[in-house]
Amino acid sequence: MLLANPVNTGHAKASLITNLQSSNQESFYVGVRLQMQDGWHTYWENPGDSGSPFEANWSTDEGVIVENVQWPTPITIPYPPLMTYGYEGDIVFPFQVFRSQETELKTISVDFNFLICADICIPESASLSLDLSSASPSKILDNQINNLPTKTINTNSSIEGDNLVISFQSTESFSNAYLFPRESGNFFYPENQLLKQIDDTNYKISIPLLDSKLSAFSGILSLDGNGFQIKEQFSSQGGISLWQAILFALIGGLILNLMPCVFPVISLKVLSFVSMGGDDHTKIRNHALAFVGGVMSTFLSIAAALIIIRSSGSMIGWGYQLQSPVVVGILTLIMLGIGLILLTNINIGAGLTTLGSSVQSKNSYSGSFFTGVLAVVVASPCTAPFMGAAVGYALLQPSFATLPIFLSLGLGFAGPYVVLALKPEWISSLPKPGAWMETLKQFFAFPMIATALWLMWVFMVQTSGDALIQLLILGLVLGVAIWMIATFKGRWKWIGLITTVILSIQIFNNLPSPISSNQNDADATNWSLVSESNLQANNQAYLINFTAAWCITCQTNEKAALSRPSVQEYLLTQNITYIKADWTNRNEEIAAGLAKYNRSGIPLYIFWKPGMTESKILPAVLTEDILIRNLK
Amino acid sequence: MKNVITNLLFLIFANSLFAAEIILQNPEVNKEAPLFSVIDSNGMQINLADFRGQPVILEWTNHECPYVAKHYSENNMQALQKTAQNKEIVWLSIISSTPGEQGHVDANTANKLSKTRDAYPTHVLLDESGEVGMKYGAKTTPHMFMIDSNGVLRYKGAIDDVGRGMQFFSASLQDAFNYVATQLDALQEAGQLQIGSTNPYGCSVKYNYD
Repeated sequence: MLLANPVNTGHAKASLITNLQSSNQESFYVGVRLQMQDGWHTYWENPGDSGSPFEANWSTDEGVIVENVQWPTPITIPYPPLMTYGYEGDIVFPFQVFRSQETELKTISVDFNFLICADICIPESASLSLDLSSASPSKILDNQINNLPTKTINTNSSIEGDNLVISFQSTESFSNAYLFPRESGNFFYPENQLLKQIDDTNYKISIPLLDSKLSAFSGILSLDGNGFQIKEQFSSQGGISLWQAILFALIGGLILNLMPCVFPVISLKVLSFVSMGGDDHTKIRNHALAFVGGVMSTFLSIAAALIIIRSSGSMIGWGYQLQSPVVVGILTLIMLGIGLILLTNINIGAGLTTLGSSVQSKNSYSGSFFTGVLAVVVASPCTAPFMGAAVGYALLQPSFATLPIFLSLGLGFAGPYVVLALKPEWISSLPKPGAWMETLKQFFAFPMIATALWLMWVFMVQTSGDALIQLLILGLVLGVAIWMIATFKGRWKWIGLITTVILSIQIFNNLPSPISSNQNDADATNWSLVSESNLQANNQAYLINFTAAWCITCQTNEKAALSRPSVQEYLLTQNITYIKADWTNRNEEIAAGLAKYNRSGIPLYIFWKPGMTESKILPAVLTEDILIRNLK
Repeated sequence: MKNVITNLLFLIFANSLFAAEIILQNPEVNKEAPLFSVIDSNGMQINLADFRGQPVILEWTNHECPYVAKHYSENNMQALQKTAQNKEIVWLSIISSTPGEQGHVDANTANKLSKTRDAYPTHVLLDESGEVGMKYGAKTTPHMFMIDSNGVLRYKGAIDDVGRGMQFFSASLQDAFNYVATQLDALQEAGQLQIGSTNPYGCSVKYNYD
């Protein structure tokens, strides 16, 4: 065999170089350098619409292993209407070499076959050899190694219509971005990839797809030639269709009527219908319609708000409204207030009136409307567990799909009243009005107060014990106010209410800054967007718990399963890393992490162990048994 | 003067718009194949629609492309053409190279090439403008398309699985899994094929991109 280095292949000069510095290194690099003539290029591992990557066949001594090539960041080489990916000019392809100490370093040789193209393509080849015992280290190779696309970047991808949209962050400015997809066949290469800057550091790039059923991809994102590795998987689990989502929303809305925080409000409305008796059907219909109107317009406003917030580029998820302690505080007071009103048997002007009123009192249609609004507001803490999938789907969809889902949610929620509006005579099949209504109404105060207690606990976790005391004082003032309204006439009754409002503003304005509740679980590792890929790379099994203090299902699961000694012991003996992602306070990174699984709400449990190709989503409701069975 | 500049700018703008219209289509498998009408190497106007009732195979070719050259030098393409001819399947070899680019030939040379290479295309189509190539999204030479007797596109992609990578030049084409050859019988039954689409490999089609 003729040993040569460099070799002229026809349209390029090929040479073999190394960065080996001393003869006892166990790991070093060799590189094949191609110096191509002007106007000629060769290809990346995915050559694009045509062409071919090179082939290298190494011959080494025993004990020496040459790894696969580490591809440098490619460039686009357009031949409209086609697009190819490759390299021009002077390029080095680095290969890492491992050798055992006992092996004496001698000659390393490669048969390098490559396709070199200008307008036309020619297969060329070079048989190169390098004497490692006398080679001098190459700076050019070191430079190439330093510029390899080994860095990773935080990304979040979704499919929007015929495009793959990748959101990413970069603190350094750049003018050109391009995604080089590694697998062939999924993308339409020749079309422009549109780059959009969202704010100072956030960008979005859309890549035209050939196949919108893409389930995973990897590639190199090049920012002005600076390459980053990207690898993403879309969960197949979240794949529900628009119609399914609408149906789930409808059913979920219906179920909401039975939630502890909603049921009392709703049943009181029904009671007021009952007391209207079976005689005045038009009146019942109009009240029912007003209530439905209140429910629907509230859901519509929520959908509109979500669309607006989302279009401003913020990552949001369902339940996000409970991430603000102010909202939680106000909801606590509303729940407490309703509970007290139910107990004191009073009528308060405007919206709340109709809650417990009898037929004759100021039973205006606007009252029914606002009861609808109120019902949706108090329902919001309870929606997450039932609505997860549908609302999650809605939030990931373009606006035209978000609206029908929320409307269907509202329709399900208002379902019983829609029926009532259509068939008012059915009300007569309910029990006759009487003293039992008063008793039942008073009893309903307790689920409301229980909800208030839970919200207080959320509030405490989000802020501090001091803030909770302030909230409780506020609750006391509210109690006094309600008592005053019930007892006094004229302007006196308003003084109590005004005092409450002023005090609330004062207290909510001075809330301590939210503290992170990450430190409460000593055994759990904190989550970050890259933890999964890092752990998978290290072949380390893991269980991720996306949770928050305000998520009641999450809390139950933690008590019933995750924090049980037997589970903790199982995780320890099986060497499963337990990771907690705490979403009690707003956190864009966690929202991005959830979006990876097509979720926008919690609970979400993710499990992976070596040997699994895709991580597994565990059931949303866990017991010790279910959890351990799923980990096996 | 101002008018002249405005007109000039408009012209440049209009031109760049026109240039942007060169776009490769991506016809769907199991849908009707795009129709075309183009001149062949004997000066005949060939319409795809005229072959209704017979299966049709389209082969994008460029005799100077090393990938095509290998398929012909090993008698691989010709053998397939012969098989197709025996099964009464129409074989159209299409040259979309623009004048001055690699693979572009005049009618005489095209006929001479068929003779010297002992090839059996039903027609060799001269698609100098690249119009047919764009309609079919032909990217490489070779790039194969199979159309059934009802005019439905049943296969698009590579001729075989030797595929991309330099091993192509050292591999034996006889041992390759030939997507076209193995699906000829199925094509005659005018139903969906087992393999409908693969990634084509080869040299890029030399379209007019200037």
